[in-house]
Amino acid sequence: MPRVVVDPITRIEGHLRVEVTVDDGGTVTDALSSGTAWRGLELIMKDRDPRDAWAYIQRICGVCTTAHALASVRAVEDALGISIPKNANYIRNIMAATLTVQDHIIHFYHLHALDWVSPLKAAEADPVATANLQTSLLNAYRLPLKVPTEIETQAYHHDFPAATPQYFQGIQERVKAIVASGQLGIFAAQWWDHPDYNILPNEVHLLAVAHYLEMLDKQREIITPHVIFGGKNPHPHYVVGGMPCAISLTDGNAPINTARLAIVDRAINMGRSLVNNYYIPDLIAIGNLYVKAGKVDGGGLAKTRVLSFGSYPLDGYQGTSNGGYFNNLLIRSNAVVEDFAKGVGNAIVYDINGETLKREDRFAEGVQHAWYEYPTNSPEDLHPWKGITKDKFTGPKTGTPTMWETLNEHGKYSWLKTPKWNGKLCEVGPLAKYIVIYTKAQRGLLPNITWAEQMMVDQINAVTGVLGVAPEVWMPTMVGRTACRALDCQLNGEINRYFYDLLIANLKTGDTQVTNDEKWYPESWPKECMGVGLYDAPRGALSHWTVIKDGKIDNYQCIVPTTWNACPRDNKAGYGAYERAMMDTHVQIPDKPLEIAKVIRSFDPCMACATHMFNAKGEEIQLVSTDPYRR
Amino acid sequence: MKQRESLWEAYLKRGFSRRNFLKGCVALTSLMGLGTDMLTKVVEAAETKPLPVVIWIHGHECTGCDESFIRSGAPLASDVVLTNIALEYDHLLSAACGAPFEAHLDETIQKYNGQYILAVEGAVSTKDNGIYCMSGGHTFTHLLQKAAAGAAAIIAYGTCAAYGGIQAAKPNPTGSAGIKMFVGGKPVVNVPGCPPIPEVMTGVVMHVALFGNVPPLDGQGRPKQFYGNRIHDTCYRRPFFDAGMFAETFDDEGAKAGWCLYKLGCRGPETYNSCGNLRWWQGMSYPIQSGAPCIGCSNANFWDEAPFTDRLPKYDKIGDADKIGVGLAAATAVGVAGHAVASIIQRNQRDNLLENENGHGGEH
Repeated sequence: MPRVVVDPITRIEGHLRVEVTVDDGGTVTDALSSGTAWRGLELIMKDRDPRDAWAYIQRICGVCTTAHALASVRAVEDALGISIPKNANYIRNIMAATLTVQDHIIHFYHLHALDWVSPLKAAEADPVATANLQTSLLNAYRLPLKVPTEIETQAYHHDFPAATPQYFQGIQERVKAIVASGQLGIFAAQWWDHPDYNILPNEVHLLAVAHYLEMLDKQREIITPHVIFGGKNPHPHYVVGGMPCAISLTDGNAPINTARLAIVDRAINMGRSLVNNYYIPDLIAIGNLYVKAGKVDGGGLAKTRVLSFGSYPLDGYQGTSNGGYFNNLLIRSNAVVEDFAKGVGNAIVYDINGETLKREDRFAEGVQHAWYEYPTNSPEDLHPWKGITKDKFTGPKTGTPTMWETLNEHGKYSWLKTPKWNGKLCEVGPLAKYIVIYTKAQRGLLPNITWAEQMMVDQINAVTGVLGVAPEVWMPTMVGRTACRALDCQLNGEINRYFYDLLIANLKTGDTQVTNDEKWYPESWPKECMGVGLYDAPRGALSHWTVIKDGKIDNYQCIVPTTWNACPRDNKAGYGAYERAMMDTHVQIPDKPLEIAKVIRSFDPCMACATHMFNAKGEEIQLVSTDPYRR
Repeated sequence: MKQRESLWEAYLKRGFSRRNFLKGCVALTSLMGLGTDMLTKVVEAAETKPLPVVIWIHGHECTGCDESFIRSGAPLASDVVLTNIALEYDHLLSAACGAPFEAHLDETIQKYNGQYILAVEGAVSTKDNGIYCMSGGHTFTHLLQKAAAGAAAIIAYGTCAAYGGIQAAKPNPTGSAGIKMFVGGKPVVNVPGCPPIPEVMTGVVMHVALFGNVPPLDGQGRPKQFYGNRIHDTCYRRPFFDAGMFAETFDDEGAKAGWCLYKLGCRGPETYNSCGNLRWWQGMSYPIQSGAPCIGCSNANFWDEAPFTDRLPKYDKIGDADKIGVGLAAATAVGVAGHAVASIIQRNQRDNLLENENGHGGEH
């Protein structure tokens, strides 16, 4: 059976490699996911000032920038017992929702789209038919779901897709010219002759390529709230205790005043227009044709177990590890759901709360197959507050430490640890969040359902109506994972509007406070304390765990969404989400494993990787050139 | 070797008019900080120079520099990537992956030997033969050396590629460093920042692409046009520093009024970057304008010059004139001592003013 290696996996953040073994029928019998880089940021955090932690740890990732800064300030505030002012909570929520909208749009159009659509197919489309298709997509697939309390501030949708033949013809001519030039640039060397590119009509390809270009220009404008509130993007600024962007409605030189807020307002409306008019219709058009073609594979662990932390504190809150965070959420997805694929009625829901966070048998990380080691007398899994980061590289199975052929699935093979909930592995991400909310809502576990939770249920029902198959069938799949990300984007557009309106309403009361500096100085801190910061980031459940001792960081551990999803296997708990999803994916042509790259990208990975092909003996298969345009 | 097309040829092939082409040249001229008298040279270069090939590789990094690059407002990233350069290898945007992608890299290196621009994002991990940063089954060190050998010019994007960055902060667990020692003596354009400003990133590559040479550099290899000024000297809050009006805490009356953030640890006085003049999002803001003290993210060892909210003198920068610029040492020392007194007077005056006006000391 061929062993297929893909390294590097591109259109993701960071360095990621996968190896899969494929049998003659195209079934993946074993799969391995390896994070191939380690920077040691946890070690760099030691002995730093906790008030600076957000700046360092935000540099984990520049794609989901802000996510780690937010989790970090929350962790430190939990440890030190700091509650933030209302305005700071609203502003942080706006920054988080803004990130989610922008990050999902970039993921779909720039990191994922080229797995579904091809510029070569776009070159063959009929521009008139494409314009007609655009019109019918807008008629059929816009989901008009809005925040109920919206204060309308725009006269009309300023960002709306063109549906004219001339527009699509212009785009097509550009694409043709690039193909004809022989310098394919970013389009070079892909498996464009893969049969999956035949599933969609040429017109969908052209439409998606046009929107790829438009979104590349627009995404920079969606993110402007980060530039206003945090001074820049990527990596906007935060402060422990609130936000650094002081507000004054009387000082013209103030970081935040009426004129600055108007820029935020415009960006929020723009994000909503783009997701409602472009992203959702495009996504449903592609997803519907894939589901109709029977492509409901790639689910994996999502069928069995998903985890989410819940998000968007409505007002200020006091503490996370004491449960405060969970008492006041707009989206109460703080739970693990098992067996969703067996139907909502058979699924099992486990609550996540302040108590479970602290239990060492509930949240822990193991290093069985990771290039780390724990002391000999240590338990097999360690709670993150007691976490140890000690590297132990053991090299590949074949090849040399600096020139790998195959990695060793029986030994250590990744720089990611293996995080566990209750000793088990979980999938996280927008799909997980939607599975949790949908299940809780159907089971009556969401008393006084919030507008956002209701919107999530309505979104699922609307998509189910279009696809014509039950949620437990379409959701835990590759398509479902990509679809729920689009729904999350639409949801976050409305959440953005909601918190902006709350911010304005609160400013009207005369409250302009953005920082609580009562415990700014280390003299006011306990000698030793521990904190956790949670955030359902664009890629899923994110948690930062810190121990502060004598005014300095004594331990800092992050369990990031990609660690949950891309982690190496565990001898007891089984395979992680990437590995399970790959094993649940049919591969048509082993030496062109487009489906493998596609299912991995459906998670929106946050690392970097590679693909090579090996046979059962671990010998690399010589690939013929797969680029039809290569001379 | 295949003849490469010039920017003008690319415009022709993509169906653009001569007028469009000239407009593009005008935009580029101003973008690169050149006077209008340079327009004819830009047009000439764009007409005759071949469309440049760019190879973009990633070491120990966070992809924040890629993300910053695609946030460029002028030129737009779509125009850069699809019309002005041929981006043949990039982990963020390239369609391909795995073995065919690596083969395409090798082919590109060979085909455009001595002609391509190498953009490097991220640090080099040197400890234990580089095993902490692997891609395609090889060390990043291997990739960098391979790609650098045939490069016409090398751009080190971001503080990580220029100086080592976050992973090189103490205790530097992976032995990370900037790329300079690993490129075989080739000239490197340093574009530090965490990340650099989007238009600085596109501006540098467009300069190299159009003129076929690197822009004028300072002693640290940084383009003078973007790193020639201290943020402190271009900061719109500088008058408050000179007047001794400081925010004493986050969110106090001075913070609300947009006074100088020096006492909250601002590193503007030692940081060379375009935040004060170019700003982010084409003039929209920069950290100081949004109330956050500069952390000096374009400085070589800024991660180890923490806590960030501590004021500068603790780091013995005073006297280090090479680093912080002529006259800064004395000016700042005098400024701080003198302004400490002035600050209190100014603040009292302001407080009195507010009390007189409102009868309750201003907004709360």
